[in-house]
Amino acid sequence: MTAVPSAPTRRRSWRRRTVPYWLLVPAVVLLLAGTGYPVVWQVVTSFREYGMAQQFGQPAPFVGLANYLAIVQDAGLWGVVVRSVTFAVVAAFVTLAVGIGLALVMRAAWTWVRLVLQVSLLLAWAMPVVAAMTVWIWLFDRRRGVVNWLLERLGLEQFHRFDWLAQPATFFAVAAVVVVWMSVPFVALSVYAGLSQISLEVIEASELDGADGAQRLRYIFLPMIRPVVAIVLLLQLVWDLRVFTQVKLLQDAGSQSGRFDLVGTAIHKLGTGVGDFGMAAAMSVFVLLLTVVLSAYYVRVLLKEDAS
Amino acid sequence: MKRTTIGTVAALAAGALVLAGCGGDSDAPSADADGSPTDGGQSQSLTLWLMGGDTPDELRDYLRDTFAEETGAELVIEEQDWADAVTKLTTALPDAGATPDVTEIGNTWASTFTGVGAFSDLSDIYDELGGEDLLQSFVAAGDVDGAHHALPYYFGSRLIWYRKDVWQEAGLEVPTTLAEFNDTVTQLRTDDRSGFYLGGEDWRNGISWIFANGGELAVKEGDTWVSSLSDPATQEGLAQFQQLFTDASNAPATESDSTPWVNINNNDDGVPEAATIIAPGWAYWSIGLPSEEDPDVLEWDDETFGVFALPGTEEGTVAPVFAGGSNIAISAASEKQELARDLLRIIFSEEYQTMLAENGLGPANTQYLDAFVALNPTVNEAAAEAALGSKLTPAAPGWAAVEGATLLEEFFGKVAEGGDIAQLAAEYDEQLDALLN
Repeated sequence: MTAVPSAPTRRRSWRRRTVPYWLLVPAVVLLLAGTGYPVVWQVVTSFREYGMAQQFGQPAPFVGLANYLAIVQDAGLWGVVVRSVTFAVVAAFVTLAVGIGLALVMRAAWTWVRLVLQVSLLLAWAMPVVAAMTVWIWLFDRRRGVVNWLLERLGLEQFHRFDWLAQPATFFAVAAVVVVWMSVPFVALSVYAGLSQISLEVIEASELDGADGAQRLRYIFLPMIRPVVAIVLLLQLVWDLRVFTQVKLLQDAGSQSGRFDLVGTAIHKLGTGVGDFGMAAAMSVFVLLLTVVLSAYYVRVLLKEDAS
Repeated sequence: MKRTTIGTVAALAAGALVLAGCGGDSDAPSADADGSPTDGGQSQSLTLWLMGGDTPDELRDYLRDTFAEETGAELVIEEQDWADAVTKLTTALPDAGATPDVTEIGNTWASTFTGVGAFSDLSDIYDELGGEDLLQSFVAAGDVDGAHHALPYYFGSRLIWYRKDVWQEAGLEVPTTLAEFNDTVTQLRTDDRSGFYLGGEDWRNGISWIFANGGELAVKEGDTWVSSLSDPATQEGLAQFQQLFTDASNAPATESDSTPWVNINNNDDGVPEAATIIAPGWAYWSIGLPSEEDPDVLEWDDETFGVFALPGTEEGTVAPVFAGGSNIAISAASEKQELARDLLRIIFSEEYQTMLAENGLGPANTQYLDAFVALNPTVNEAAAEAALGSKLTPAAPGWAAVEGATLLEEFFGKVAEGGDIAQLAAEYDEQLDALLN
């Protein structure tokens, strides 16, 4: 008597259990094909000697860890890595600070001000990178750039015809400004979304307790948006570590010399510039491992947060 | 109500994050679309890649019209930036779907690409296109074991352009030796005006001083190419370059040879920012005073501007300047080999070669050199003189890699900034040796 109704239940529950996995299959296949193939190719090529000759048809011999050893022994490439990590950390934290600031402004502002701010942020974020870079390069042009003109007007005579792209320090300062400008909208809107989830009752209670703005920020807002901030910071670190387009376009306007390279442009130079694709692939894998190591801490913290 | 609001906001935030993940990590702009439409049966098309803006619009229109007339197929011309050209060629040439059928290629890169078999063998039509009359040094750059894979397209040598009015005011005359030239331009320098505009990373012009002193960038010892930056003659040339940069030029140390003519033309204040520049022959069309009919167009004025070939170390000689120019080749992966050869026949025809000469681009076929000089006596006499003495960069198989790694830009930039020439040369000799072969 009990066997009859339970048999159909078991069959239905098996199907119900596996349906989600079947629904995932198309997405996973696309993901593996789209991103998996290049990654696998890169890892395989990093263990081979693959140069211009191989690009045009010659066989690629397997050379083991030779490419990796060459990278580790090249002092120039270590300089590029250090510079890239520094750049990524500085840019990510500045982006975060400005983004959180803008999100707080959006929260406190009138509706129409908030709308204007949000639309401007979206426009800045949606602008094609090359178009934006063209304008930025014109702004910092040494002869006719607006930045130099403004600074001279303000009385800073040393900026007459100042070449921003001549020294690595000022070059990367310009790059940081551009990258921060392009990244802030994402951070600001995500953090704003997080802030809007904080219930008004908590804020009212803190006001009754006599907390001022700075204390509210530190003890209520920041802890409550911590998950959003953690994710956004992680993403910014990863993206800023492998920034390519902005640096490459600035180099085209200035100098393509090695001291203006970050890992993105260094790999590009090794690969399509010099034509040593094996070394470039090895460098890419190296940067991937570096990114994983840097973000491992965050991922662990996030997982612990989730668990608690 | 609150749950649905929070749920909506959370969904929006999640959606924004996901979309950001797709859009945020935008990479380099997508590669140029493949210009040639798929062969639909009726209209075929051929893709030609030209480098930079050197070939003027007039010539491009001529090619399109003549090609359509003679073959009935469409010619699609795509212009590539010189800076990205090696990259684009490396990725496009091996792929039959993306390769240009015919491409211009810088003469310094020709030996690298022909060495790996990127181009078809043109020996069968070599004689038809001009044979021995073609510029032999450029033909050699495109040779592999005696087979011709890339033929000369045009040459241009670097000339010295100067402001006659500024020079006359200072009471200076056209120099007859290199040392005299170095002195003259140093005298002309003021805070607001370079005596001679030379960027710190401008190795294509800087090597003229190396070549003039008998130095070389790399030499072939037996079967291997060896970098010769530490050679005493090369060092002498580099020292002269360093001095010129420091004493005669106001250009930044990170500038190379992009558009020097903006400096010799009058700026917004009506004065030039350089008394002298070095630039290829086709700079003629970018130098001048605003014309009366249209102030946006510049017209050459013989009273204000002059041109001469850079003199050599001895009186009566010319300095061997960098023989700029390009070769032209058919991609080995192209599926329209015959159609591509038809295009080459048009390019090497008398009409087109004459048009090249008229526009300040040295024709590949030396038969037309006299015509070249006659068509624009102001510039081309000096150009032909300089061209006959010009030199190419080493025809090493790895030379394109050296240029792709921007090693010479770096080296010259550091020398210009006042570095120890001997030490830098040793450092960069090592790096060049690793890539040359």
